[in-house]
Amino acid sequence: MDKNQITEIVTNTIKDYLETQNIRIEINSNSALIGDNSLLDSMGLVNVIIDIESQFLDKDIEISLISEKAMSRKNSPFRTVSSLANFIHEKIEGNYE
Amino acid sequence: MNKIMVITGTSKGIGRYLAEYFLQKNFIVIGCDLSKTNLKHNRYEHFCLDVSDEISVRKMITIIVKKHRKIDYLINNAGIASMNHSLLTPLSVVEKIFKTNFFGTFLFCREIGKVMAKNKFGRIINFSSVAVPLHLEGESIYAASKAAVEEFTRILAKEFGNLGITCNAIGPSPIKTDLIKNISKEKINNLLEQQAIGEFASFDDIVNVIEFFISNKSNMVTGQIIYLSGVC
Repeated sequence: MDKNQITEIVTNTIKDYLETQNIRIEINSNSALIGDNSLLDSMGLVNVIIDIESQFLDKDIEISLISEKAMSRKNSPFRTVSSLANFIHEKIEGNYE
Repeated sequence: MNKIMVITGTSKGIGRYLAEYFLQKNFIVIGCDLSKTNLKHNRYEHFCLDVSDEISVRKMITIIVKKHRKIDYLINNAGIASMNHSLLTPLSVVEKIFKTNFFGTFLFCREIGKVMAKNKFGRIINFSSVAVPLHLEGESIYAASKAAVEEFTRILAKEFGNLGITCNAIGPSPIKTDLIKNISKEKINNLLEQQAIGEFASFDDIVNVIEFFISNKSNMVTGQIIYLSGVC
């Protein structure tokens, strides 16, 4: 699976979640997921992470987006759509534990 | 549609009893234990694993989700005990007890919590013990691990509250199982004397509390610890 496909899954999952919250907003790869001006609050991020893991599981790809290293990374993988997609790509490719 | 229940520690004792009880109630029961089971039923599935082994637990939950698409109920029953004076307790024993009693509970709550959150419904029941409120001498590590389960349960109830998941715990008083087989009669009698009802509890007493927690009417019951035998 390439990065574009992963980004699409991440973007659509976030869109779907925001729609459940009656929020309609344009999302691009630079959209922030945490911090100032982020699309999601803390529970929103939790929900999105669960939904993304589940989306990949439906495609027979088992990934866990929680790990000690991820949580302690200087540049959190959860900061933008793009960084999250990159993180997932690394996970799938086995370059990140 | 069948209700899907995961119970840990189903090879014997309380876990085995609960598995058989809920199978009779037409649930699909998925159990796990370190050892195999001779429990055979067309609605029972068994996994051999260590509840504190993150990879094994994740694999188990993935298999369940792929097959059943949901998990409605989780009973974190698996637990071990060891009685000893704190000054005579090896660190390896402390680690072993915390791994099974707390880490195992945490892993199952986390992984199954994700599944329940997606379905906006779930009932989690963790296992504490009267050893926590009674502050039993010789059970410092066991009681500490169960105290950790209690606090985890209370905070989980808050974190899961808006996800449609309730999280409660039961604190059984002594029941005649393998868990207490090595404890002297004198110690057990001393413990029973500290209870409002100074008798051994039964498996049915546990079922009664679990039935209350998992009831559809118990939507508003979460973050609670119920002890048997009037311990408080």
